[in-house]
Amino acid sequence: MRRFAVLTVKELKQCSRDLVLVAFTAYSFLAAVYISGTGVTQDLRNAALLVHEGTPTPASRDLLYRFREPYFRRIGTFWSPREGMRRLDDGTAMLLLDIPEDFAETLNRAARTASVQLMVDTSNVTMGYLASDYGERIAATFTQDWSQRVARRSGLDLRTVPSVENASRVWYNPDLNGHWFNAIGQWLTMMTVIALLLPATALVRERERGTVEQLLVAPLTPVQIMLSKATAMTLVNVGGTVLSVYAVMRLAVGVPFAGSAALFFATTALYVFSIAGLGLAIGSFARSSAEVGMLVILIVVPMTALSGTWTAPEAMPTWARYALTISPLYHFIDCAYGILLRGAGIRVLWGSIVALALLCFVGFALAWLRLRGQPG
Amino acid sequence: MNLRRIAIVAQKEWREIVRDRVFLALAFLLPVTWMLVFGYTMVFDVENIPFAVLDFDHTVQGRDFAYRFIDSRYFDFRGYLSDEHQADRLLAGAKLRLVLTIPEHFARDIASGRHAQIATTIDGTFPYRAQTIQAYAEAITRDYSAALQARYIAGRLGVSNERAAVLMQPLRLEVRYLYNQAVRSNWSVAPSLVMLTLMFVPSLLTALVVVREKESGSIFNIYSSTVTRAEFLAGKMLPGVAISFADALLLSALAVYYFGAPFKGELWFYLLATLVYVICTASIGLLVSTLVRSQNAALMIASIIGIIPAIQFSGMINPVALLEGGAWVQAHVFPAMYFENIVLGSYLKGVGGATLWTDLCVLAGYAVVLIALSYLAFHKRQTR
Repeated sequence: MRRFAVLTVKELKQCSRDLVLVAFTAYSFLAAVYISGTGVTQDLRNAALLVHEGTPTPASRDLLYRFREPYFRRIGTFWSPREGMRRLDDGTAMLLLDIPEDFAETLNRAARTASVQLMVDTSNVTMGYLASDYGERIAATFTQDWSQRVARRSGLDLRTVPSVENASRVWYNPDLNGHWFNAIGQWLTMMTVIALLLPATALVRERERGTVEQLLVAPLTPVQIMLSKATAMTLVNVGGTVLSVYAVMRLAVGVPFAGSAALFFATTALYVFSIAGLGLAIGSFARSSAEVGMLVILIVVPMTALSGTWTAPEAMPTWARYALTISPLYHFIDCAYGILLRGAGIRVLWGSIVALALLCFVGFALAWLRLRGQPG
Repeated sequence: MNLRRIAIVAQKEWREIVRDRVFLALAFLLPVTWMLVFGYTMVFDVENIPFAVLDFDHTVQGRDFAYRFIDSRYFDFRGYLSDEHQADRLLAGAKLRLVLTIPEHFARDIASGRHAQIATTIDGTFPYRAQTIQAYAEAITRDYSAALQARYIAGRLGVSNERAAVLMQPLRLEVRYLYNQAVRSNWSVAPSLVMLTLMFVPSLLTALVVVREKESGSIFNIYSSTVTRAEFLAGKMLPGVAISFADALLLSALAVYYFGAPFKGELWFYLLATLVYVICTASIGLLVSTLVRSQNAALMIASIIGIIPAIQFSGMINPVALLEGGAWVQAHVFPAMYFENIVLGSYLKGVGGATLWTDLCVLAGYAVVLIALSYLAFHKRQTR
């Protein structure tokens, strides 16, 4: 136990003496989370809209008036389809709204449904979706108001006609504030990179310098060597998380902390521990720092990008969803967002926690098998 | 600058890479693996949303309404719930993203000509997904309601069903998705993946070239040799750039021939821009390598510098125009955003040098500045 403590302190000292490392760790937990938490939005804002109005009529004016700020920004008119396309190509417009000549006439005659075309630049998929969602909502309210007016003229009050209404409630983030999600996502990404890369490179460095031989012949078991490296890593990351959550997320971004702090930090520690185990397993396979860098990046970028922060696992093909279950982050995301935003407790999260513990065990077992078999 | 000396340094570096078989294999394996994995999984479509129904009405009409959700390709029906507590628990555990509640008297309200209200409870943790789910739910309810009203009006006013349907639905918005007609993110994402991968690989290839020699001490051979600083750095960078450019060609071929992304732009302009971008990201690695003193610090900085701009600030997920403050600055400081413009323009939009030359100029300027900084940061005499 004492030897284990000495080794852990040695790892911590080694980290703290590399000033560049300390600076970058601080940047990752504080500045990077702050920047994402305040500057990145995924809402539709000021989407540049070009309009072609076949014949200006009160009806078309009414429709156009509804495409307004903050979601849309009318930047002018286009006269020919070619001109419109050119503006989309060079990126100065994102949407084209084409109202045909006979728009008002068709509406008034009511023999057929009038159609209006909205062309959306979907080279950015998320914005493309949002723009068309808002467009459809606008069309729907326009439709509703128009029908109401027409019905009233024929002596019918639409309010007396049976209908179904949707009362939509959003939980956990009622205002759909994108900053909360971004700050937490960035923290998860940064922590994962650090917790995977540092133990892996630390192990390989000992091998490159030959000091791993010293460790292996010292009166230490491979388990003690691995656990001390992982523990040091966990201390650094949990410390960083405390700062990140209280100083940046709560104070600067205003992320709520709905669940239990003890459970949150305990699962964070378990997560970092399992990532560090994975890092050590990678480190035990690589022979040089260059290889470690490649291997870690090969794993860490897909892991952080696909586990459920930036893309939704449910929309992925089935094989990918199964493959993701071996990613510790996939399970930890439920805990992190769950405890912070949804106020989830251990009764809800026990499945994810058990999965994390299992993956943690597998990582260490792999590293242990490799280290044990090495000369020493 | 002596070309022969550059060649010798490059040759030595090349041999070092080739002899580390695993590393060499990874230099090609990593980009291809990423491209294949991300190409299938980086979908921004909101589909298969797990949802459940809480039916307090237990009528045919209620089930008929629920069936509109169950039948939609956007939703993945997970069953009927027994009570609200179950709904709470499943939402909190992220097992469901949407709960549809059909209240008591739903069918009775409709039959007696009143407004029936259903409720949708959405998990707002992921705002973009929540917004899209909200829009789907609204559209389904609206369609159902409009059909219901049309049938009623046809009876009340004695007009034909078609006429009543037009009355309830006088306007239709036809949305056309340009540059990616199906909004299957699959192939619109493939070109962006070229940008993403080339943000990492070149800088990882060069991040260790100088610092490795510093750690092992072999840098002293360089300090005492006739090779000049510029020759040394150029020779160190060349193999990394060459491998990265080969990667770039491979990835572009995958995007076009495997994922079916169209290439509509100017090929020569694209190749030139790709080469400049690769030099750019390779010189990020080189600069890091000359500045730090340990290999693990170099790796960590190179990977974090790669991750920050490539995923969040390149315009791939979040459009740059919507970024604010520090995020806006970060997007403009890194080369990823400029190359994302070039990639999207070349593949999806079919524009070339005439429109994209400014982005290319920025990339070129960026490369020159980085290389100059590396040159200034690297001394043949140890400062400490």
